[in-house]
Amino acid sequence: MRPSTARIAAGLRETAPGIAAVVLLFLIWEGICRGFAIRPFLLPAPSLVFAQTLAAWPVVLKHTWATLGTVLLGFAASVAISLPLAMLIVSSRALAAALYPLLVITQSIPKVALAPILIVALGANELPRVIVTFLVAFFPLVVGTVAGLMATPPELIELGRACRAGRLQELLRIRLPFAIPFVFGGLKVAAALAVVGAVVAEFVGAEAGLGYLIQTSMAFFKTPLAFGAVIVLAVMGILLFQAVALTERLLFPWSSGAAPPGAGL
Amino acid sequence: MIRIDRIRKLFPTREGEVEALRDVSLHVAAGEFVAIVGASGCGKSTLLRMIAGLIPPSSGQVLLDGSPVTAPRAETAMVFQAATLLPWADVLRNVTFPLRLMKQAGAGTEARARALLATAGLTGFERRLPRELSGGMQQRVAICRALLQEPRVLLMDEPFGALDALTREEMSLELLRIWQGREMAVVFVTHSIPEAVLLADRVVVMSPRPGRVAEVIEIDLPRPRSFEQEALPAFQAAAQRIRALIYGGRLPRAA
Ligand SMILES: Nc1ncnc2c1ncn2[C@@H]1O[C@H](COP(=O)(O)OP(=O)(O)OP(=O)(O)O)[C@@H](O)[C@H]1O
Ligand SMILES: [Mg+2]
Repeated sequence: MRPSTARIAAGLRETAPGIAAVVLLFLIWEGICRGFAIRPFLLPAPSLVFAQTLAAWPVVLKHTWATLGTVLLGFAASVAISLPLAMLIVSSRALAAALYPLLVITQSIPKVALAPILIVALGANELPRVIVTFLVAFFPLVVGTVAGLMATPPELIELGRACRAGRLQELLRIRLPFAIPFVFGGLKVAAALAVVGAVVAEFVGAEAGLGYLIQTSMAFFKTPLAFGAVIVLAVMGILLFQAVALTERLLFPWSSGAAPPGAGL
Repeated sequence: MIRIDRIRKLFPTREGEVEALRDVSLHVAAGEFVAIVGASGCGKSTLLRMIAGLIPPSSGQVLLDGSPVTAPRAETAMVFQAATLLPWADVLRNVTFPLRLMKQAGAGTEARARALLATAGLTGFERRLPRELSGGMQQRVAICRALLQEPRVLLMDEPFGALDALTREEMSLELLRIWQGREMAVVFVTHSIPEAVLLADRVVVMSPRPGRVAEVIEIDLPRPRSFEQEALPAFQAAAQRIRALIYGGRLPRAA
């Protein structure tokens, strides 16, 4: 098993600086809180954050599951809608001209403003939260996928034509595989944004979720718990991002490492 | 088999129309090996694309077995100047890609692909990705991909252009060996005069701006060809004639 231990060692070497930086940040934070004797409800020390979060662990876990559900549903909706949408945009000039302004409009509307309207319209259930999450997350995925589909080298397109490929075959057998690295660039951004979207939606209307936990904690000056929720959110974002990267490496080994410039937008 | 009948090709550009080809006529017999040489920009690739049915002529027509070529045909295969392999597919899947795309892949396809790769010296590389191969190996994969379609017309656009001299000579002979075992017309675009003479039954010399056929030269060398023939007077004479046509009498001389 030498190669795999070598891989783990290489992986450690790669992640070590990142971990060290985070640890250092927490140490400085702890030092400042103790050194200046800052009151915990203004800025709690990390040790206090960890202690209080751990003490409320079952509650935190419950809210984490709620948020994760919204994030995953919103992310899945982004994927399910963005990929066909991108293919439609690429397949016809008229459709592209019709759809692009709509897309830009959805991006110009502040989602925080949209969330309460959606909740009134659709009721205080999961659906408006998933829609907000989707609206926050899907745009980079569409843009990235379109960029990838359009970036297919003309030689490959000509090869397809020489093999008598129709428009649909060209799209599915040549353009789409070529766009995979771009798609994953978009997916990584979308994964991170989905967490943001879910929390935005929870701020506006929810009875559960980390966004809700942050709000209620702050209302009762339980600042350490709010910080704990923020840290859980950060970890969730990192894990989702890594899950996307891992999926790419497992399913499309030719894609990772050969990502074209600008693939991550 | 291929009849090119007074073809003209205009490309629209921002500075008006560019005449890429003017009044080009040519006949290629079944199983014949024809090389096309000419200065850069004289329309060689354009001509090849029109035979392939990838672009239409502005006037005139290309006939294949008597019927006009209006779209790519199954009996025609093309090798491009760059290998143009699919970066996501391994060597074997790249080679079988056209047949799979045209839904002509059968039970024996993979075995035939492996056999072809073996003749190209690529045994053991079937599962490699294109980026793990050298430029010469990639080009050999592209040639195998075209040959697997068992085309009756093989169009090659400077297929060895990106290769070093040694690989180039080796692959020229390999191509001849494969061609000899099949009933396959080859139209081979090249920048190398010796390569054209070594390979072809006839060499079409084109002149630029607009692209026209300057002359068609018969190569009277016995087959199988080999590089020893380069010393023969017939070889030298043909090469000299082509050179003179390309440089229009003003043969470049080293000072
Ligand atoms: N799609 C196009 N649009 C406009 N002009 C074109 C197009 N394709 C080719 N041309 C023009 O037609 C002429 C012939 O081009 P072509 O690519 O056939 O030359 P070539 O003989 O293959 O040159 P090379 O040896 O450099 O490959 C050139 O002047 C080129 O600028
Ligand atoms: Mg060319």
